[in-house]
Amino acid sequence: MEKQRGFKVLLVDDEDIFREATARQLTVRGFNVLTANCGEAALPLVQNENPEVVVLDQEMPGMHGSETFLEIKKINPLVEVIMLTGNTSVENAIELMQQGTFDYLMKPIDINELLYKIEDAYTRKKLNEEQQQDVGL
Amino acid sequence: MLKELTTFFKKIVFWNQEPDSPVLESAEVDALRLTFKSRFHSFKLLLATNSRILEAMADMERALQGNESFSMAFVQARCTSISVNVFRMIKDMENIAPGKYSALRDSFVAIQRQIDALLGQKKQLTDKRLVIPLTAVSSDMTDMVGGKMANLGDVKNKLNMKVPDGFVITAAAHEVFMSADGLQKEIDRLFQVAGSDEDRNLDLVSSQIRQQIMSAEVPESIYLAVVDAYTQMKLQNGGQEIRMAVRSSAHGEDAENSTFAGQYRSELNVGFSQFFYYYKQVMASKYSVQAITYKFNRGFRDEDIAMCVGCLAMVDAIAGGVIYTRNPLDTRDDAIYINSTWGLPKAVVDGNDLCDLFVVSRDDALTIQRREVREKGFQIVCYEDEGCIRTETTGGRGNLPSLTDEQVQMLADHAVRIEQYYEMPQDIEWAIDAGGNISILQSRPLQQMISMMPGEDLNLQQFAPSLLVEGGINASPGVACSTVFKVAKKVDILQFPDGAVLVVEQALPTWAPLVARAAAVISEQGGFAGHLANVAREFGIPALFGVSGAMALVHNGETITVAADLGKVYRGCIAPLLEWKRPEPKLMMGSPVYESLREVSRHIIHLHLLDPESRDFIPKNCQTFHDITRFIHEKSVQEMFSFGKDHSFSERSSKQLHYKVPMNWWILNLDDGFVHEIKGKYVKLEDIASIPMLAFWEGFAAIPWDGPPAMDGAGMTSIFFKSTMNPALVPGLRSKYADRNYFMVSKNYATLSSRLGYHFSTMEAMVSERSEENYLGFKFKGGAADFERCMGRIHFIKEILERYGFRAVVNGDNLDARMEGHDMDFMYSRLKILGYLTLHTRQLDMIMGNSGLVSHYMAKLTKDIDLLLSM
Repeated sequence: MEKQRGFKVLLVDDEDIFREATARQLTVRGFNVLTANCGEAALPLVQNENPEVVVLDQEMPGMHGSETFLEIKKINPLVEVIMLTGNTSVENAIELMQQGTFDYLMKPIDINELLYKIEDAYTRKKLNEEQQQDVGL
Repeated sequence: MLKELTTFFKKIVFWNQEPDSPVLESAEVDALRLTFKSRFHSFKLLLATNSRILEAMADMERALQGNESFSMAFVQARCTSISVNVFRMIKDMENIAPGKYSALRDSFVAIQRQIDALLGQKKQLTDKRLVIPLTAVSSDMTDMVGGKMANLGDVKNKLNMKVPDGFVITAAAHEVFMSADGLQKEIDRLFQVAGSDEDRNLDLVSSQIRQQIMSAEVPESIYLAVVDAYTQMKLQNGGQEIRMAVRSSAHGEDAENSTFAGQYRSELNVGFSQFFYYYKQVMASKYSVQAITYKFNRGFRDEDIAMCVGCLAMVDAIAGGVIYTRNPLDTRDDAIYINSTWGLPKAVVDGNDLCDLFVVSRDDALTIQRREVREKGFQIVCYEDEGCIRTETTGGRGNLPSLTDEQVQMLADHAVRIEQYYEMPQDIEWAIDAGGNISILQSRPLQQMISMMPGEDLNLQQFAPSLLVEGGINASPGVACSTVFKVAKKVDILQFPDGAVLVVEQALPTWAPLVARAAAVISEQGGFAGHLANVAREFGIPALFGVSGAMALVHNGETITVAADLGKVYRGCIAPLLEWKRPEPKLMMGSPVYESLREVSRHIIHLHLLDPESRDFIPKNCQTFHDITRFIHEKSVQEMFSFGKDHSFSERSSKQLHYKVPMNWWILNLDDGFVHEIKGKYVKLEDIASIPMLAFWEGFAAIPWDGPPAMDGAGMTSIFFKSTMNPALVPGLRSKYADRNYFMVSKNYATLSSRLGYHFSTMEAMVSERSEENYLGFKFKGGAADFERCMGRIHFIKEILERYGFRAVVNGDNLDARMEGHDMDFMYSRLKILGYLTLHTRQLDMIMGNSGLVSHYMAKLTKDIDLLLSM
């Protein structure tokens, strides 16, 4: 029996099969998974559902992943974002991390690796929140 | 690292005993706890990343040994992974020590720039002609027309031999074709998607890419240039249409060390109306399964290979074949070997059928030494309109020699002249038309091999009872023993087990991808002049062809010994013959892919920052990624240790281990390494929650130490001598820290710096449910005895660690052992071994001069460890 992690993860990807399969696998592993098929649909979920971690595809029609990321951070600066990308270049990876994404993962993803990243991102978010509370923000 | 860790452990152990530590307010304590927690989280991420980087570097180092094939995708993927992970480490370091090591980013950018420049290197063509007539081609134009056509240009224009008229569609045309409509980008993408599963998805990737090429439009500039060249040829032919041979002439093909024999497509007897279809077929053959496999095995970069295409007037041959200007199987034999058959030479190179062999001596008269006229049941001939057909030989010609003696000697004369021109043995394809004219169709360097067999000294009679079959043609010399796997259909390729003996009916180029994976090849048909024989020789795989009825004689799974030099196959494994096995050629060494890896590894793997106490141990001096990771690892440990002192935060102080009695083991809890917060000076073993520390301790305490080994006089003298050189080793002068051991722990992590007796060791371990992130690192250095004895112990420990699955290397007098990626139980068992060895290799350096004692201790230690693992 997988342990119940309980916290909310928002998965944003326009590829239906990938999104649904990944959501299923994360749910089985004890996450509370929300999904959106585009950046535009993701923003109200960030606003209303308050996910702890967002897993975001970089290449999406409409609002691009990088743009969605900036909008998400405007809504909640503390939410941690893991970017999924099909581009292996070092420049792209570094640019994503420079922008403030927690980390990035190459597609096709290893589900365990994603799981670890989500857990690490969640820990980081909680620590950042505690630190903010501590300094009275 | 060892010294540095010890220094810092020293500091942390005693800092909280200083009387003037300020007292903190509870709010400050809470803030510090939180900051420490946040930094520890970054520290954990950093360690996991460091482990991934070391793993990727180890992959690169393995590849640099040159024993295994790897692709450019491997090089790029490892470089990208290491670069990105190094950047992650820098980011995590910035969280641990904000603003302190910002110069690391500059070093990172400088190194990354150098790597990008190396990976982005590509040959630039200066000649932009799309089509060049063969009359204007020479061997210095390999970059433009490919090796095959460049060689043929010299035969035609320098040696003035008869070569069909024609032209070459150049490398510049290849560039134009592939860049039109983003074709190359799409191909790169398909390879990238296949990623590390390239092998498994090879059929699919190959098929997708070839379809892309076949459905692409030939760019107009190429179309017009080809039409113009063909029109010129037609005019010279009195306005008559010309049927063409459309032949691959890719970069690397027909080169001295790589032939690409039969890996690409050539299309014969093509009418001009169909020309561009077949041009694209040849272009697409760059991505056939066999070509991709060959490139992978030989270390070619896809981006370095342009597919140039030779377009020659078709020779309607009545006989054709291949000449080897020397014996490819024996460097001592300088006779000329002419393989010949009826019809087109394709039947010889494809290896479908048997062919005649004429061996000509290199004397002035070109005397024919030997004629082997074989049953040539089939021939390949041109259709009247277009294309070719394999058809039965008629009129009893099958048993007749396909060449007259005069023709044999004329061919031998051509061979000698071509070899003299190139100054090296040649493999020449030729054809004779109905008028008796000899045309040269191809000439490439011939690789010769040295026979390894001892010849007549070998008593083969003793193996006679096991003899299964004899009398085949030695297509590639050597001996091998393995199990049989028969391949009859293409689908059998998927089931072929690595290292099996490949048994086939025909020696077709289709089977080439299996050759590199086979122990040996047996074929019922084919000779030593076919493409498959060439490939077998190139890869050093023994091959015996022309073994009549082989498919029925052997059974799948049966073990056989193939002695190609002897033309014999034996049942079972004939061990004495295997002594004559050929050493495996290191095919990757020196290849473009290998060189790319070697070049980039200089900016990644090499380590320049060796001494953490040196003034030069600064970010600015990081010349490689390994320097950066080494620096960060070192400094991150220091930062975690010094946190308490820097912030006057006594909560993170070390405790002394109380195990029956107070011990010289000091433990700093990083996070959740203790079951509960410890108030006093001591911590008991039952208070420890750190999994790796408990595992280590279990091994350490399981079997009592017998005390110092009995020492011989020389061992004792070596200590006295060393003590006089190094005062720290004299017990009376040793510092109070000398016998202290320091752990830094969390629940899933532990690092230990220990000094027991005169050696230093460090252990670092991450052991959690995340198997992928688990790792163990163990370093060992020093000893009281002389250098040879200390090194003896280092190698003694290395041997034991390797026996239990560690990857161990010795650098100078440092032993560095690692393992990663195993589950918790396995890691736990290996930590027990490290605990055991830390105690039980104490002072073993003393006995390293005595081989009897070394064997005794090796047996004792391994017996103890096996017992320990069974507990």
